[in-house]
Amino acid sequence: MSDDLSPQVPRPTRKGRRWFPALIGVAVLVVVIGLVFNLVSGSLFFYNADEAVERRSDLGDERFTLQGAPIGCSIVEGFSGNDPVVAFSVTFGGETVDVVHFGDPAELFQPDVAVVLDGAWAEGVAPVDGFDGLADDGWHFASDRMRVKHDNDYINEEGYDERLVQSGAARADAAGACTT
Amino acid sequence: MTQPMAAAATEQGSADNPASTGSRTTLGLGLVVLVGLVAVVLLGFFGAPEDDQQRDAVRMIFVHVPSALLTYVAFATTALGSVMWLWKRSVWWDIVAHSAAEIGVMFCGLTLATGSIWGRPTWNTYWDWGDVRLVTTLILFLIMVGYLSVRSMGDDDATATRASIIGLIAAVNLPIVNRSVEWWFDRTLHQKSSLTDGNLEDLTLFTLVLAIVVWGLFFLWAMTHRFRVGWLERELRSGDLDEAIAARKAEALIDGDFQNGASS
Repeated sequence: MSDDLSPQVPRPTRKGRRWFPALIGVAVLVVVIGLVFNLVSGSLFFYNADEAVERRSDLGDERFTLQGAPIGCSIVEGFSGNDPVVAFSVTFGGETVDVVHFGDPAELFQPDVAVVLDGAWAEGVAPVDGFDGLADDGWHFASDRMRVKHDNDYINEEGYDERLVQSGAARADAAGACTT
Repeated sequence: MTQPMAAAATEQGSADNPASTGSRTTLGLGLVVLVGLVAVVLLGFFGAPEDDQQRDAVRMIFVHVPSALLTYVAFATTALGSVMWLWKRSVWWDIVAHSAAEIGVMFCGLTLATGSIWGRPTWNTYWDWGDVRLVTTLILFLIMVGYLSVRSMGDDDATATRASIIGLIAAVNLPIVNRSVEWWFDRTLHQKSSLTDGNLEDLTLFTLVLAIVVWGLFFLWAMTHRFRVGWLERELRSGDLDEAIAARKAEALIDGDFQNGASS
């Protein structure tokens, strides 16, 4: 007798092992569904200012996310009771939207750097003293969450002035939008 | 260490059966990485200028972007290793895939963490579920954590095959993560690629490229060590198996001799 090993009774397999492939399958399925859902919903993450104006009647008082670049000369900071509030106009795609943001503005909030705002359309003039909305269409966007959509230009102060001059919001400033 | 143990360790340290995962090359590589890291830190904090908008927060770019790039490299390596395992049953590639996955998860976690920390002062939020780049990166991270979980469940070929399939599923997500800022540019919070589409100051660009090179060398260093650990583990397991079979055979021979003796 050399290699003839006596047969062994196989050890009972753990029950959990049988479920393993199914578990992996379900996990992968969940991930794939999550991915697809995110891709679909991600494509509707925000409405640009021109789209928001175009869909105003459809959106009604529904909450949505708005994106646009603040026009520097329009920015007015104030208070609503004891709470800070900032009013400004944003532009994108040739349309202008008046915005009232309730709360502190984002740290990087500044002219021409696009903002992404959560809120809803509100009828009437923006209730902030000293703010003359550039859109002046009887509507404003009431926001309670602000994020800054900065670009991928990492330049110092000298470059900033040049960029501001080239920007659409700066052009709006230069065209005297706030004086009309 | 007792003398027999020391002798055994020396013996184990031979080329055929190394006791260490280090070598002169990896030592040199490690030193280059250390020097490079010091240079990146000095340039990152004191050399590169602050940004007109982000001020000092821009310095996160020297950690975040290289980590993201090396995440792609690591998971692409895992995908390649997975293909080679499924196609050729190459143990070498299987260990490469596993090693790259571990390092890639570390880089991906670092990318998510640094991105979140960078996002707070710049975007005004740590996280946004509506952003495609953020969520697809998180999904990539979770898939690869799943890969490592599967890996930890066994050392057999079936486990390697299951893990390889997960590695390939993750690879499908790689181009989506990378291109998301282009495909959804007008719908995402994340800016476009800083390296290929960005406008960077000269010293900022130099520091960023240096950081990518240093991170790349670190990846090579870590891969070499992790691969050797993986290889030694496999050798140890196969050695244990050989010993167990030999012991079983010896048992069988003794049993056979005993039975023969009893019957005679």
